[in-house]
Amino acid sequence: MPRKEADMSFTRRAFVKAVGIGGASLLAARREAWAGLLRAPGPARPPRPLLLHNNENPLGPGEAVLDSVRRALGTGGPAGRYPWEDVAQLHAAIADRFGVAPENVVTGCGSTQVLREAVQTFTSPAKPLVAGQLTYEECAGYADLIGTPVRAVALDRALKLDLDAMAEAAKGAGLVFLNNPNNPTATLVSGDAVDRFIERVHSTAPDAVVLIDEAYHDYVTDASHRSQVPRAVKDPRLVVARTFSKAHGMAGMRVGYAVGHPETIKRLGWEGPNALNVAGIVAAMASIKDQARLERESARNTEARRFTIDWFAKAGFASTDSQTNFVFVDIGRPAKAFRDACREQGVLVARDFPPLEKSHVRVSIGTLDEMKQATAVFGRVLAVKAAAA
Amino acid sequence: MPVSRRSFLGAISPGTAALSPAFVAARGREAAIAGSAAAPGPRAAASILLDSNENPLGPGPATMEALRGAFVDAGRYPTNARPSMGDLREAIARRVSVKPENVALGAGSWELLRLGVRLYTSSSRPLVTAAPTFEQPEKMAEQLGVGVRRVSVDKDGRLDLDAMARAARWGGLVFLCNPNNPTSTVHPARAVADFVARVRQESPDTAILIDEAYHDYVTDPGYATAVPLALEHPNVFVTRTLSKAYGMAGMRVGYAIGQKRTIESFGRWAITFNQNSLAVAAAVASLDDPGHIEAERARNTEARAFTTRFFKDLGFKVMDSQANFVFVEIGRAARGFKEDCARRGILVGREFPPLHMTHARVSIGTIDEMQKAGVVIAEVLGGSRPVPAGSAHDSRRPR
Repeated sequence: MPRKEADMSFTRRAFVKAVGIGGASLLAARREAWAGLLRAPGPARPPRPLLLHNNENPLGPGEAVLDSVRRALGTGGPAGRYPWEDVAQLHAAIADRFGVAPENVVTGCGSTQVLREAVQTFTSPAKPLVAGQLTYEECAGYADLIGTPVRAVALDRALKLDLDAMAEAAKGAGLVFLNNPNNPTATLVSGDAVDRFIERVHSTAPDAVVLIDEAYHDYVTDASHRSQVPRAVKDPRLVVARTFSKAHGMAGMRVGYAVGHPETIKRLGWEGPNALNVAGIVAAMASIKDQARLERESARNTEARRFTIDWFAKAGFASTDSQTNFVFVDIGRPAKAFRDACREQGVLVARDFPPLEKSHVRVSIGTLDEMKQATAVFGRVLAVKAAAA
Repeated sequence: MPVSRRSFLGAISPGTAALSPAFVAARGREAAIAGSAAAPGPRAAASILLDSNENPLGPGPATMEALRGAFVDAGRYPTNARPSMGDLREAIARRVSVKPENVALGAGSWELLRLGVRLYTSSSRPLVTAAPTFEQPEKMAEQLGVGVRRVSVDKDGRLDLDAMARAARWGGLVFLCNPNNPTSTVHPARAVADFVARVRQESPDTAILIDEAYHDYVTDPGYATAVPLALEHPNVFVTRTLSKAYGMAGMRVGYAIGQKRTIESFGRWAITFNQNSLAVAAAVASLDDPGHIEAERARNTEARAFTTRFFKDLGFKVMDSQANFVFVEIGRAARGFKEDCARRGILVGREFPPLHMTHARVSIGTIDEMQKAGVVIAEVLGGSRPVPAGSAHDSRRPR
C-alpha cells in the first residue's frame, strides 16, 4: 500500500511540474510540426565541377531509398538513437540477399573499415600482406601503419592482377588482397582463374586468408566473372568484401560489408558495429532489396562507359577493358598535368597511381551527358583535333 | 506527447508504414517486416529508452533543415559533399575556438577513444583508467593485449585524481572522463589543470585523454572545458561527441581537439571517410546553432532535477549529476533492476562494475518519459527501499 501512495504522489507532482515547464514542452511540441519536413526539396545548389575522380554513381541511391531514410529519421528523434540493434537487421537483410545466414555477414563504415579490419586481424610484422602493385591502396596503407610488410606484385602487361605471381608471393603471408575488378586499372580476372588462384594459395600458403574486394561487382559485364560469395561462406580462409558506395550510389552513407565463413567473420568484426550510422543502415536495407535498380544502373554505366572508351580510342588513346564505373587510359603523359588542366575547365579526374602516373589516368564514368561534356574538355586538353562525339 | 521511440517500420516499405504501433506491438516486428528481419532487440521492443544517455528529442530544427538539403549528396563521398568533411572541421574549430588543424573527426568519439589507446599504449605502457568509467578505452586495451590500471572512484563517485596521477607514472595513456560516465560527477577546471600539470611533470611521456562527451549538460559553475590544456600540452587531447546534447547518436560524429601533431596522427589512423555526408551537413548546422544546445541543456537540467528528486523522495542516494543521466544507489543488483524494468517496457543502463551490485544508471529522457518511467521504477524498487523516506534529504552532500 505505501508503494501505491508513493506512485500516486509522484505522478501528481510530476504532472504539476511538467505543466509548469514551458520551454521544454515547446521543444517537444514544435517537433510535431516537422513531420514531412525532410520530404520537401532542399535549397538549390550552385553548380560545381564534374566529379569524375572518385568512382561514384552520379545518380546517387535514388528517391525510393532516400525516402526510406526520410521516413526513418522522421521528425528527428531516431537520429538521436544509437543504431546498434539495427545493424543486426541490416546483417539479416544482406544475408537474405545472398541466401546465407546473418553470421556470414559483417558490416563496416564503408568497405574501407572492413578491409582495415582484415589487415589488422590476419597480418602482423611476421605475416605480410600480398597485394597488386597498383590496386586499391587501403590495405597496403593500413599495413604500413601497423608495421605489416607489404609484398607488392606487379601487374601483367594487360594491367591485370598477375595471379601466378601473387600466389607465389602468398607463401608465408597472412592476407592476400585481390581487388576484382581491380581499381584503378578497371580490369577483371575470370571466375575460373580466381577459383584456381584460391586453391593454389590454400595449398601453398595454408595460413593465408584471401580477401576478395568485389566493390565493382555490379558493373561487370564480362560473362567470365563470378562472385566468390558462395565459396566464401564455406571457406574459412576466403572473405569477400562489398560496398554500397558504388552501384548502390551510397558513397556518402558509409556502409560496406564482408561475407564469409562465420568463424572468419567473427574474427573480422573485432571493432564491432559502432561506426555504422542510422541513415546508412536504413538506406542499405532498402537498397539491397532492389536488384532491378542495380541492373538499370549497370546498363546506364555500360552505355556511358562504352561511349567514353570509344571516344578515347578514336582520339588515339587506349583504355584497358573496363569492367567498372571508371576507365584507365594511357594518355601518354603525366596524369598530374592532365588533371590540373581538366580541373581548370571544370572536370575533376583521379589522383596519381604510381608507378603508372606518368602515362595513365583514371576517369570515372558519370552520366552519358556528363561524359559528353567531359570528353569535350579532354579533347581540348589533349589537343585532339577531330574529337569523336 | 507520444513516446519518442524509434522504429524502422517506415523504412522497410511504404506499405508497412501504415501499420499502427498497436498492431506492431501485437504482432512483433518480425511479423510486420516480412522475410528478412532479425528478431527485434530489446531496444526496439521497449517503450522508453533510458539506457544509452541519448537526447530523447534528436537534433534541433536547424539541423533537420540542413539534413533535408543534404540528401542530394547521399551518393557523394563526404569529401565531395557540400558541406564536406573539411567544412565540418572548420565548423568545429569555430565552435571550440581552435584552428581546423587542431580538429580530428571520428565516427563518433568512440573511434577516437580507441585510437587514443592504440596510439599511446603498448605492452610496456598500460592504460590508466577509472572504475567505473566509460569502458571503451579499456575494451580496446584488452583487445590489443595492453595492460589496464583501474583506479576506483571515491565514495561520491568522483574520479580519484590523486590516485590516478600516481597510477599514471610510466603509463601510456590516462583516460579521464569529465563528467564521468556512469557516475555523472564532474571535476572543476582547476582540478583538471592541476592533474594535467602533475602528470606532465611526473610522467611527461604519458598522454592524457579527457573525454568531454557530456560537456554540454554540465551546470556546475566550477567546470570548464579542458580544450585550452589540449592546445597547450603535447599528448593531451580532448574528445567530444555529437551523440549527446546534439541529439545525433545515430549519425556517428565525434571529434578530438589537440595540438597539430597529435591531430595529424589521428587523421592518419582514423577510418578513411569516417563521416556520413548527411551527418556532416547536420553536424555543421548543429554546431552553428548554439542556442538550441542551450535550450537542450535547460530541458535536460529540469528533467534531471525532477528525476533526482524522484529518487531522493523514494529514499535513494543519487550522485551529483552533471550529465544527462543519474547514478543511483538502488541497494540491489543493477542486472535484476534492469530486467525488472525491461519487463515493464523501460530500459535502464547496463552493469558498471565494481558498483554493479548496488548502483544503477538511468538516462534522462523527456519529463513525460521520466514521469512514466518513474511509476515503473517506483514499483520495481518498492521492495528494496534502503532507508526511511524521511531521511532522504539528509543524504545530500554540501556543494
